[in-house]
Amino acid sequence: MAEKVMAKGTEAIAEAAVRAGCRLYFGYPITPQSELTEYMARRMPEKDINGVFLQAESEVAAVNMIYGAGCTGHRVMTSTSSPGFSLMQEGMSYIAGAELPSVFVNVVRGGPGLGDIQPGQCDYFQATKGGGHGDYRLVVYGPESLQEAVELTFKSFDIADKYRTPVLILADGLLGQMMEPVEFPEFNDPKSFADHSGWAMRGTDMKRKPNLVSSFNIDPNGLEEMNHRYQEKYRKIVENEQMFEEYMTEDADYIIVAYGTMGRIAKSVAKEAREKGIKTGVFRPITLWPFPYEPLAKLADKSKMFFAVEMSAGQMVEDVRLAVNGKKPVEFYGRTGGIVPTPNEILSKFMELI
Amino acid sequence: MINRNHKVFAFIGMFGSGKTEIALNLAIDMKKTYEKVAIADIDVISPYFRTRDERENLKKLGIVPVLPPERFLNADLPIIPPNVGGYIENPEFKTILDVGGNDDGAVVLGSLNNFIKKVDTAVFFVINPYRPFTDSREKIIGHIRRLSDKARTEVSYLVVNPNIMDETTPENILKGEKLVKEVSEELGIPVAFTAVLEKFSDVDTIYEKFLIKRYMKVNF
Repeated sequence: MAEKVMAKGTEAIAEAAVRAGCRLYFGYPITPQSELTEYMARRMPEKDINGVFLQAESEVAAVNMIYGAGCTGHRVMTSTSSPGFSLMQEGMSYIAGAELPSVFVNVVRGGPGLGDIQPGQCDYFQATKGGGHGDYRLVVYGPESLQEAVELTFKSFDIADKYRTPVLILADGLLGQMMEPVEFPEFNDPKSFADHSGWAMRGTDMKRKPNLVSSFNIDPNGLEEMNHRYQEKYRKIVENEQMFEEYMTEDADYIIVAYGTMGRIAKSVAKEAREKGIKTGVFRPITLWPFPYEPLAKLADKSKMFFAVEMSAGQMVEDVRLAVNGKKPVEFYGRTGGIVPTPNEILSKFMELI
Repeated sequence: MINRNHKVFAFIGMFGSGKTEIALNLAIDMKKTYEKVAIADIDVISPYFRTRDERENLKKLGIVPVLPPERFLNADLPIIPPNVGGYIENPEFKTILDVGGNDDGAVVLGSLNNFIKKVDTAVFFVINPYRPFTDSREKIIGHIRRLSDKARTEVSYLVVNPNIMDETTPENILKGEKLVKEVSEELGIPVAFTAVLEKFSDVDTIYEKFLIKRYMKVNF
């Protein structure tokens, strides 16, 4: 009907994935992201889409379906929430090792363990420091709004293709469940996608040697060579793919650092602080890996204090400390258990600190 | 406008169509006229943004929120409050039912059929034409038929909720109403009202306006 639609976060990511060219979705429902799976179940079989939706018997099965389907080099995706993402970690490591383009969504809820179904940001370590085994990295995006989530979903597939790497969209439960107006970009033209014919398994027609996709090498030197290749790729990603937003930081004495929906709450806090005459800005990492250390470090030269705010007991704050590197104090405020701190709550903590 | 002579007002519809907002607003509005108003949260679909989130506010207003036991309020389980049948039948109360979205949500209303059929129940099907899956006449009609089967009841009224949040324009409202008008004419189900935010009180609409406030919002 209209250009803009009212979307729920999970639906916005799902539709964006379809438009970005994803035709292979495997998943297992879990709150608070089940609507993403449900959306795909409805959307993929539609005539003009003609994709594959498959409900796996568990997250372990889903991630291995991604592993298998990813070997074809087509645009593949799964989505889950925290406990489900933990179950996927072994597969993630294999996928990273096999260098398969693939997109993952973790709509984070309160943890650890079964936790609850309320929003959380407590999977930051798992997402950015490697939840599975081995020296691998995921490109991790932390969108703050539904529109940004749509744009980053498109980008995730492109980055996954460009670097042959798994990409993760780390959305807190709030982003997954809230509704906002969204404008979807046009459908991607599959002809524009990267050419994966050199490595992908799409059939040989008995005319050539089969391609081999593996994360396995019993020769230590050969495995080290593979690791060097991974690290070279990660170095390029660090160099080229960092994303962040600075909000009123130019003259700021105090910098609030927050990502995802907390980034939006932080902006409200900064505005209120400015009304009280306190020059406050917000630094919002959009790529959580690669974390934008250098741009944040630059702010340490002119600001008095950094204040990290998270829906966790303090995870991203460790990267903030690495960036600031002792030049200025780094303070932290977090809520756990699925509780979203209010702007007032953060503001009063902030006022205590300055 | 809403015929308030009914005993029970049940809101069904697709996921995210605005049922909870409208149910809450109706409960609060009804309380102005009727002494005893109850609103039952029988939404087993949405994990967040539910009637139960407003329970303290409702109690303050003297409205009875009919909810699962407190300790299970955030459980990821489809719990139907055991006393909901009583509130449906109790003639002293005007009772509003906030039903979960989609087919699986509507099934819950079907499960209460033994109570529902004993009293004068109005079933409202809420449509936001700016939501995916309810943006065309064919899709809406399909959903109404299916959900009506699942809920084991006819739909008494349609409700237009033409809403793109802060970006809603008077043109959106009218365009949304026109779409639902086509559905109404084809199915022979009357439109009860168009829900609009209070700031649109001056906008001309095809159907009577029900002015609402937003309760389910994120505190940014």
